Amino acid sequence: MTQRKRPSNTLRLSQSKRQSNSVMTQEEDEDVTFTQPSSSQVQRGLEKLTPAQVDQKTAEVVQYILVKDQKKIPVRRAELVKNIVKDYRTVYPEIIKRAKRIFEQVFGLKLVEIDPKNHMYILVNNLDTPAAAASPVKCPSNPKTGLLFVILSVIFMKGGIVRENQIWNTLKKLRVDPGQRHEEFGDVRKVVTEEFVRQRYLEYTRIPHTEPIEYEFRWGHRADMEVSKAQILEFMGQLHEQDPRSWSQQYREAHTGSSSSQNASSSQTSSHASTSRK
Amino acid sequence: MTSRRREMRKARAGADEESPRQNGSSSRRRSEQQAFEGEDPDSIPGGLQDNVDDDNDQGRRREIRSKYRDLINSVQQNREDMLSPSNNKLTEVLEEANKLFKEVRQAREAALDAQLLVVATDLGKEKASQLFSEGCAFDPTAFAEHLLSFMGLNRLEEEEENDELQNGGGVDGFLPKDAWHRLARRTECCFKTAPTFHYMMGSFYAEPPPPKQKSDRQRKASSKEVKRIMPTQLKKMEESHQEATEKEVERILGYLKGYFEDDPSPMSYYEFVIDPNSFSRTVENIFHTSFLIRDGLARLYLDDDKLPCIEPVEEEAGATSNRRQCIVPISPNIWRELIDVFEIREAIIQPPETQNE
Repeated sequence: MTQRKRPSNTLRLSQSKRQSNSVMTQEEDEDVTFTQPSSSQVQRGLEKLTPAQVDQKTAEVVQYILVKDQKKIPVRRAELVKNIVKDYRTVYPEIIKRAKRIFEQVFGLKLVEIDPKNHMYILVNNLDTPAAAASPVKCPSNPKTGLLFVILSVIFMKGGIVRENQIWNTLKKLRVDPGQRHEEFGDVRKVVTEEFVRQRYLEYTRIPHTEPIEYEFRWGHRADMEVSKAQILEFMGQLHEQDPRSWSQQYREAHTGSSSSQNASSSQTSSHASTSRK
Repeated sequence: MTSRRREMRKARAGADEESPRQNGSSSRRRSEQQAFEGEDPDSIPGGLQDNVDDDNDQGRRREIRSKYRDLINSVQQNREDMLSPSNNKLTEVLEEANKLFKEVRQAREAALDAQLLVVATDLGKEKASQLFSEGCAFDPTAFAEHLLSFMGLNRLEEEEENDELQNGGGVDGFLPKDAWHRLARRTECCFKTAPTFHYMMGSFYAEPPPPKQKSDRQRKASSKEVKRIMPTQLKKMEESHQEATEKEVERILGYLKGYFEDDPSPMSYYEFVIDPNSFSRTVENIFHTSFLIRDGLARLYLDDDKLPCIEPVEEEAGATSNRRQCIVPISPNIWRELIDVFEIREAIIQPPETQNE
């Protein structure tokens, strides 16, 4: 977990392990046994296969990931190897490299590994963020996007970590009560603490030493990749009729992050965040 | 614990006060040292005389503990208020705790003191983090208000029915149905979500498998007519033996008719079918007799003693309205019992000459 500096680092590790254990222990075990082949092994593997075979396998991987991405749940490397790659595991790095290229050039998507420890991939849109004006394609909007936006923006504006009560209070003011069934979202608590967490938009971790147990929210890995803080701030400015720069700390965070490409240098943003939080 | 308390006080946006706590702790340390250095355990240095009295005063101990608990509760209950930058209650709580600590003697009280410290530090941390937000702070309540307006909240005053539908609370008005959609559409640009993959024309239409009702009906039909189907199945299996079976049945019919011509009195069914020499032939006789009954050429009835009797029937096979079926079980034990009971000496139905066993 070197990408992020967190106060409760070990706790988060055990948390994610617990979560993944409850979902699929078998595949985690398999992942442990799968070691990334070295480049020389890959070379040798490639020699034994025809280019057509490798292309075919790459195409299968691409299709698998595309379908898996429908639910926005990250794809595990172990699953990928077990279900699709199978005997071609010696050339796995080459397949992934080619798959990444296909995603970028054909689909305009980016295949990103969001968890280097557990090896999970997500797809992110690679095209430039569209303008605030409505896109020409009228696809139906998902109200959950709105809900997610509210939660993410509160967390962002509050410095990156927020106690769960703050989120629930804010949502209550918007007529969304975690204790009641919402007509759009259904079981709100489940959507926020389970679905969004599983999709890696949010992280829901326990605060130590709290009695009764309380949790806090942070941005998840997918949110780091997908969500533009600058855009959030822009909308904030519109809503409050203020200049986004008036939130200087958040503005700094939003714009240093985006200038050095949000995905790669998360270390930069994290160091930035830690200095501001001191 | 001393240094922590000191740092906490500095962290507050307050003046630099002289902490009475320090004096308290150093005096305590001095008294402890005295206690250790005393060579004679019986002679207690004069300075500790009052402390010993305090130690033994259970009432005082309880009082201290209860005060600690009150302090802890006050921090927990009034957390929201104490968070506000203008509120200095935390300082007062700490001062109170300092005073209490001077009188702490036992581990129980010290544990409560530690708990209070945890709660107070937590609050202090949050207060400190509030201080460091430069620029203007972010107020989630105002944010929510702005969002509601954006989502098209209709702030009507007389909408009482809709008020019940919503959470109640303070704000009147109702949110339009597409409120969240509106927000989602506006905020979609903040997300670089990969569009999900779907077939343009949808998936193929998979019909459910053909209903299973037909097979159920067939099964039900067959279970009703067990006796009927059994011979049919067997007949099919033994197609080569079909003629043999028919011949057998006719032969048995011949026996039956013959005996009734000779003696029209009722014949016991068991006497008729049982072959005292062979169980398997008995079973075959029963089997063949059942054909007769099925075809309506013979009939089984219960006589006055409730024993089954058999007699041939003169009517046409087709004109049968009152058909009933029964199942005749027989086992070697029953067979032997029947032989003893009915004193059957010889078989009425002679075994055929040719028989493949």
